[in-house]
Amino acid sequence: MVDAIQVEALVKNFGNVEALRGASFSVKDREVFGLIGPNGAGKTTTLRILSTLISPTSGYAKVFGVDVVDEPEKAREMISYLPEEAGAYQNLSGLEYLEFMADFYDNGSRSIADMLEEGKQISGLEERLKDRVKGYSKGMKRRLLLARALMMKPRLAILDEPTSGLDVLHAVHVRQTIRDYVNKQGVTTLISSHNMLEVEYLCHRVALIDEGVIIAEGTPSELRDKFGAQNLEEAFMEATRLG
Amino acid sequence: MGNLRSLVVKEIKELIRDPKILLGVVLMPLIMYPIMGSAMSISQQSMMRAMASASFAVYNEDEGAVVDSFLAYIYTNNTVHTIEAGSLEEAIVKFQETNASTLLYVKEGYSENVTRGVKANLKLYANLKSLSIVETESPNAISGLINLYSYYLSISKIQGYIAESGGVAEPDAIRSPIQTTSASIIKGNVLEVAPSAIFGLVMNQSITLPMMTMLVLVFAIQMAATSIALEKEEKTLETLMTLPVGRMTILGGKLAGSILVSILGALASMLGFGYYMNSAFAFAPEMTSMTTEGVGLGLKPFGVALVGINIFITLVSALALAICLSVFSDSVRGAQSLTGILFIPIFIPALILMFSDIKMLPTTMQWILLAIPYTHSILASKAAFLGNYSAALGNIAYITAFTVVVLFIAARIFSTERILTSRFSLDGLRNLLRRR
Repeated sequence: MVDAIQVEALVKNFGNVEALRGASFSVKDREVFGLIGPNGAGKTTTLRILSTLISPTSGYAKVFGVDVVDEPEKAREMISYLPEEAGAYQNLSGLEYLEFMADFYDNGSRSIADMLEEGKQISGLEERLKDRVKGYSKGMKRRLLLARALMMKPRLAILDEPTSGLDVLHAVHVRQTIRDYVNKQGVTTLISSHNMLEVEYLCHRVALIDEGVIIAEGTPSELRDKFGAQNLEEAFMEATRLG
Repeated sequence: MGNLRSLVVKEIKELIRDPKILLGVVLMPLIMYPIMGSAMSISQQSMMRAMASASFAVYNEDEGAVVDSFLAYIYTNNTVHTIEAGSLEEAIVKFQETNASTLLYVKEGYSENVTRGVKANLKLYANLKSLSIVETESPNAISGLINLYSYYLSISKIQGYIAESGGVAEPDAIRSPIQTTSASIIKGNVLEVAPSAIFGLVMNQSITLPMMTMLVLVFAIQMAATSIALEKEEKTLETLMTLPVGRMTILGGKLAGSILVSILGALASMLGFGYYMNSAFAFAPEMTSMTTEGVGLGLKPFGVALVGINIFITLVSALALAICLSVFSDSVRGAQSLTGILFIPIFIPALILMFSDIKMLPTTMQWILLAIPYTHSILASKAAFLGNYSAALGNIAYITAFTVVVLFIAARIFSTERILTSRFSLDGLRNLLRRR
């Protein structure tokens, strides 16, 4: 069976800066995969390449066998990307925003009404969905954006730092929603985070990335065992020390 | 098609619901122009009233009989203060104590000169207390009366001379022996109308067309720049670019949404400006009963179609250009500043061609103007108006070619990562220049 994600020797240079230096990893269908590493490790660059936003300098990235550079439009039909600093249209209501987004996925398999119902439940914003987005708090916006990313049941959800900058209550809601929803619906999910405990809680398998290369890959328990660590944070520190 | 509709609806909602755009582009012209028009109308009406009720003062040094009939004429239907004084200096002092704005000074010898057939001199003094238009124009009212009196006095004297000599002639023909009349030739048709009257008639179109084009372009550029910059500022662009919709559809949605909102803004401006013109110049009498159709200058259906096509293509090119520039900025303010440079090639030809014909300009200036695509937008509208369809089509072809190039560049930017990664900075520009 074809892998949901196949990334091979991915290199990306921004001028003189090497953001990725030959990263390789693969994600299986219906797997929740975490890409963890510190700021500037190359997580977001990898996710943006997989989301067809930027092209790699060399190497390739495939989503369900579709090369994201050769067939970006076909790849976009299968993915749903939630950027780290994403925003929503300030002058639309939450519901109008979800309606606008659902319209692009109205391909006959699921109706817009079904997607909206799903979106309402995922966001948990209830009556506040009728208000304009400009009045939302950061946590409410993130919940709306997560609902947007998941409501159409994508084959691959790409979530960049889904709880970054949120307070505990919103962060817990977002984490629980992701875990419940993707496991129940069988959505393959790629999560990037520098919060290693969060990744340990959410992901089946993880890859540790540092300075543009994957330095270790496996299930959280495999990585803990491999580096003799109590948690992924310690495992990461050990992996970079051995580097 | 459904996706494009969604994108256009979203664009319109986002732009129209933005208070800055709703207030600045749509509501302000609808409120500001009528207020300006009313203010101007009130000021003009008060000026007209003041001029109509302007009073004169008269200081007469002449004691002859002829001056009496002149003064009787001046006193009729006017408020006149008679100044009694021993000298002109004293009369001037007394005149300033009255509320009259003009002093008519009749010098000694007036009657004698008129009787002898020598020029009789009168002098007008205007008292400029506040330097208002009413004060500076006040001598004109009494000058008009004097000129009229002078005309009939001369006709009467000429009649007397003709009678004395026993000749037969028209007194008016002796006073002005040569008379000229003017006619205009338009598209080969001779019209018994002075060219100045024709200019008055077409001035509206020759100024309105460039101004309308300029307004729509300015609004459209602002809309497009705001639309892209808002996506970047609000961090919605990345999500938009990962949706399962063609990048060209996204570009099309941006263009269509911006065009619709800018047309709304231009309509609001024209409506407000129309009200301003009507109310501000309501006092002005109708100069001519001619119509553009009457003199063969009306727009035919084909001409209307050409003007419409021309404005549409011009809009698309300006929007695409604004989009190309605005991707280099991360904020609405930055994008608007960056796209502000586009106003130069729009304003310069519009202002020059509003008052001049391109063929009257020096050759170098003609070539410079013709190289600017937006010159052709104005020329095409003017040519369509004059029924010169081949010239209009040539101008439209030029702007179309330019639009295709700009759209191609915009499409390239939209289909690559440049839309997300391009940034304009002075450092970047410096590095680029150094590399060259």
